[in-house]
Amino acid sequence: MRRALVIGVLLLATLGVVQADSGGTAQTVVAGDMHDGPYSDANPVGSVPVNTNVTILTRQGGWYKVRLPTGQTGWLPMTDLRLGNPGSGGSNQPKSSGSHGFFSLFESGRSGASGTTATTGVRGLNTGDIANAKPDPAAVTELDQWMAKPDAARAFAEQLKLKAEKIDYLPKVKP
Amino acid sequence: MIRRAALLLAGLLALGLPTLAGSIDISNLFNSIKQAFTPATLEQEEAIGNAAAATLLGATKPIHDKAVQDYVNKVGLWVALQSDRPDLPWRFAVVDSDDIDAFAAPGGYVFITRGLLQHMHSEAELAGVLGHEITHVVLKHHLNALQRAARLDLAGQAAQVGMASKGYNSTLDQQAFQKISNATRNLYSKGLDKDDEFDADRAGVVLAARAGYDPYGLLAVLQTLEGVDPKSGRVQLLLATHPSPEDRIAALSAAMAAGHMDKYGNQEEGTERFEAAIKSLPPMKADSPATKAAPVAATQP
Repeated sequence: MRRALVIGVLLLATLGVVQADSGGTAQTVVAGDMHDGPYSDANPVGSVPVNTNVTILTRQGGWYKVRLPTGQTGWLPMTDLRLGNPGSGGSNQPKSSGSHGFFSLFESGRSGASGTTATTGVRGLNTGDIANAKPDPAAVTELDQWMAKPDAARAFAEQLKLKAEKIDYLPKVKP
Repeated sequence: MIRRAALLLAGLLALGLPTLAGSIDISNLFNSIKQAFTPATLEQEEAIGNAAAATLLGATKPIHDKAVQDYVNKVGLWVALQSDRPDLPWRFAVVDSDDIDAFAAPGGYVFITRGLLQHMHSEAELAGVLGHEITHVVLKHHLNALQRAARLDLAGQAAQVGMASKGYNSTLDQQAFQKISNATRNLYSKGLDKDDEFDADRAGVVLAARAGYDPYGLLAVLQTLEGVDPKSGRVQLLLATHPSPEDRIAALSAAMAAGHMDKYGNQEEGTERFEAAIKSLPPMKADSPATKAAPVAATQP
């Protein structure tokens, strides 16, 4: 019985890998209009009901390009979506593959809520690790070797044609 | 008449002495509270930050990948140069944990876990997270909290605290170092005030935008965090020390809309440079189906 469960879970995990290769998944948290571009004044191309499962294709600014279950694609505001698979938060959520895949989600090898490490090589960091930390002053000294000089940082920004801009801090507003 | 006055005086003294003694205690207490809020000098901030950083690096070590560390330091400094404290000795480091978190310590220390870096998709996302941490340093969130918690008498212990930055082996500064270290363990396992986190989110977005990046990077990272299964343990520390991703997304997106950040939505994402920069990192250990499936199977009834 237990072996059957393990095999079943392995199959689920494999399916998750295949599914994730085509892009991350998300659900709409409100009903809204899908647009033909990542702008609020772009043309609406249809309305999407709440709780629709979508595949995320890419992001530009505050918009995600998504594919609906019907195959139709378009742009939705970021905050119309909740990332993750349906039932996200459950322990049998399908998992994605690859460490750098776009919008892939990761799982650790930890066992349930206890947070204990199930696999060697998974380096955790929990509240207990911080609460019991023994100071390592030598590790702080080590950081100096990687410090950047302002000129190097500016040249690095220039490579991507990043330009410093004057922008005011944001007001605090009630959501 | 004189005798009566003397008696009266004696009586007043008798009544007054205990009051006087009491008031000495109260004024001592008042002084120690007042001193805890004495603003730290730059040297003291650096020393307190050094002790806090040493404590945090006791829990998780910097990775030994010079290319990745150089990359994060250049992006981080470029973002910090847009802040109100561009001249601090900013030190950034990727620390070797699969879990998802980032920390700042006074004086310009910023740490990000390898796990968080590997959950990101672009330099704009990295800039947003580093902007959040840089803001904690700029607004002295940890410095003020550590000073209060350690009840540091900066006027009286200036010499000791100043010397802590030169290494804590000297017996003179050992006590100050220990106080800061203890306060660090407590603060970083419990977290800052929630308002400090919301403030750092809003300012972090602005620093990334000022640096020329797409400002929605931080919001995208918060959405990624929201999608991570809390049962995985990956976000245990982060969730224990921060408001929920849901609350942060709601507050941040409302502020970004009010501040018309969509104007900057076309700014650079730096996806290709980011992917190339972190390519050398080892794949996450738990990515094979076997390691993922095992814990799930173990929790089946």
